[in-house]
Amino acid sequence: MQKSRFLPRGRKDRTMVLVDIRETKSVKAADIFLQVRPGKDFELLTILRAMIKDQPISDAEVAETGVSIEALQDLVARMKAAKFGAMFFGMGLSMTRGKHMNSAALLTLAAEMNAFTKFVAMPMRGHGNVTGADVIMRWQTGYPFGISFNRGYPRYNPGEFSTVDVLVRGDTDCVFVIGADPGATMPQPAIDHLARVPTIVLDPHVTHTSRLAKVHITTAPAGISAPGTAYRMDEIPLPLRPALKSSYPTDEEVTRRIKEAIQAKPDWMVEGPQRLETQV
Amino acid sequence: MLRITGGSVYDPANSINGEVRDLYIADGKFVDKESCDSGRVIDATGMIIFPGGVDVHTHVAGGSINFARAMTPEDHRRTQAFIRTKTRRSGLGGMAPTTFATGYLYAGMGYTTVNEAAVPVLSARHTHEELSDIPIVDKSSLVLMANNEIFLDLLEEGETERAKQVIAWYLWAAKAYGIKAVNPGGVAAWKYGDNASQLTEPVSGYKNVTPGNIVAQLAQIIDELGIPHPIHLHCNNLGAPGNVSTTLETMKHLEGRRAHFAHLQYHAYGGDDWGTMRSASVELAEYFNAHPNMTTDAGAVLFGDTVTITADGPWQHLLYKLTGRKWGNLDVENETGCGIVPYTYKPSNLVNAVQWATGLELLLLIDDPWRVFMSTDHPNGACFWRYPEILQLLMSADFRKECMACLPANIKNRITLPEIDREYTLYELATIISAGPARALGLKQKGNLGVGADADVVIYNRNVNIAEMFGHPRYVIKSGEIVIEEGDIRETPDGREYIIKPSFDPGTDDFLQPLFEDRYCMSFENYPVEMERIENPHLQDCKPQQ
Repeated sequence: MQKSRFLPRGRKDRTMVLVDIRETKSVKAADIFLQVRPGKDFELLTILRAMIKDQPISDAEVAETGVSIEALQDLVARMKAAKFGAMFFGMGLSMTRGKHMNSAALLTLAAEMNAFTKFVAMPMRGHGNVTGADVIMRWQTGYPFGISFNRGYPRYNPGEFSTVDVLVRGDTDCVFVIGADPGATMPQPAIDHLARVPTIVLDPHVTHTSRLAKVHITTAPAGISAPGTAYRMDEIPLPLRPALKSSYPTDEEVTRRIKEAIQAKPDWMVEGPQRLETQV
Repeated sequence: MLRITGGSVYDPANSINGEVRDLYIADGKFVDKESCDSGRVIDATGMIIFPGGVDVHTHVAGGSINFARAMTPEDHRRTQAFIRTKTRRSGLGGMAPTTFATGYLYAGMGYTTVNEAAVPVLSARHTHEELSDIPIVDKSSLVLMANNEIFLDLLEEGETERAKQVIAWYLWAAKAYGIKAVNPGGVAAWKYGDNASQLTEPVSGYKNVTPGNIVAQLAQIIDELGIPHPIHLHCNNLGAPGNVSTTLETMKHLEGRRAHFAHLQYHAYGGDDWGTMRSASVELAEYFNAHPNMTTDAGAVLFGDTVTITADGPWQHLLYKLTGRKWGNLDVENETGCGIVPYTYKPSNLVNAVQWATGLELLLLIDDPWRVFMSTDHPNGACFWRYPEILQLLMSADFRKECMACLPANIKNRITLPEIDREYTLYELATIISAGPARALGLKQKGNLGVGADADVVIYNRNVNIAEMFGHPRYVIKSGEIVIEEGDIRETPDGREYIIKPSFDPGTDDFLQPLFEDRYCMSFENYPVEMERIENPHLQDCKPQQ
């Protein structure tokens, strides 16, 4: 781990606390492991929020989380004594009981910790360039995901317009998959719908999704034989420089050619100019 | 080719004040009559002609505004939607407009050049990608330098010549147009929860580096490198009651050097705390008027909802604590930081009312329109598409009086706005929204209707309602192309991006590489933005002064 001016001994100057519902491989890398009872993340985070502000908590509430009060007191003391704290969280928090409420509790804890010392929190993103997709959707549409364009402008409603919801409801009559393998991770009704409608997959490999797709276009793998940009988890863009040449086209080229072919067709949107109305 | 005949022309760059003149355009530039013998003729009889607007300080692209977009979905859904057409991309307006909408909205109110005022080198690639998605307008960007660890370390060791080479290297690595300094030393200290509020006190972690010498050295380096735009400075102690003393002291540190003070309104307060806060625009404007080395933009505030975004991390944490609203914080490794907090300016709130008056007072008390420019520090004081409301306030003392009636009664003695009866003329307005900022940016081809300049023109119908007149021009012409006509978006051409290449010692790479590998978490060769990534780059001259 990087040595720096303020942490000259690198890893030795850092403390890593892992919180999970079971002993994972990461436990070895951690200094402290706290095993939380499944589904009790929100409770644990709320207790920590109370403890940093010296608010009263009951033994019964602490017992419910599966973590001892001594361990929590030690954790709070360490957090307050840290010069710079960082919390990383993933789908174990955001996709289990409580969902976005869990994330909100963790983000609030990080914000409130700044009354004592510097603290930040950052979501751990999934595979591929998912952060890049997020970033670009945001500057082009204002929203990171769960966007519908069916009125000609972007609308956002996770739970309604998110990919999994649209597929489960069977709202699409065609699916275009790029840089993802929903056939491997999504619930069965969504997968059934992928198989039912024309699904087009762009992927360098055969995937669960490409097996049930009507069309699979093999593309050059990004970063290996296709150039581009990947956004790191902290939204810093890195250039991808291909080491090899590929006879397959890039995702970008295939998408551009499909777009050109679609543009050649008659437009379904109402023609005519739009006035610049007063903003509210 | 295009001819515009019979309009009253306001072209401060050429001292033309409302005279009826014909304009001739060919190949995107103004030409003389003989070189334009065909093409469309716009009869502008009775109309008012301005050079295209130039925004010297705005935040429209990059990591911070994009974070603000993510944080404010509730605003997106109530705002104006841009519906896609064959030639136009969809988008959303509002507090933090999407990139395509940003271009349409700027052009829609007659602005043709915008300067993105805060770019970390580390994420400059991202900023340029967003800028290339902003249609119609020409763009430039300023790179954040006053809290860069490598630069501060060089200052600590007194290596000013080396620091100059490094600054020039960074500028070119970011493909930027100039240098921005935000809360010098304060953002670096914020990494450890501190701030820097005294100009002469060492920044935490350093012995010799003070905010005062950071700004003085940067200004010196910028002049020596011949960067067209002077140091673009966001002073220490933004937003704090009594901060006028810091601002005046900073101005004294920069005596004899060129300097641009960003969003001066946020740095012009007297009093000791929130309860006694008052406008200090009179003393600030007095000093400013006597020192022609400086320019500024107003950073005016309008009442309503917005989202504040700034590299000033510690200030944003304070604002979060004050308001209890959402807070986003981004630390950009060892270069800079950024904080985001949605905010509502209310006329009933005494502090907000003082801020509103202070912005207008500065615009009215600074007597040279060539040195004070229109800005709201978009989106901090208000969104850029609300500029026409401010123009109306500047042009009508009666309208100001009407608005002041809504302010709290105890604002008396805290502001001087009620005593100011100056009203801007059209000529002065053309100076503060176009000719002045273009000159300050060193863009001679902008804000200028003379032969050889870029053919960026706005044509307004005369209207007693000033806000409406400036909010809805009859025609907007960008590089000789009619982009807005009668309120409709006609064309959406791509704009240019202005960048500079200051000369630096070729050994700077070898000097920086080991330092870089020690401090950054990206590899050295991935750091500079490649020239191919800039859409329509336009290299401006950068010549050291003799």
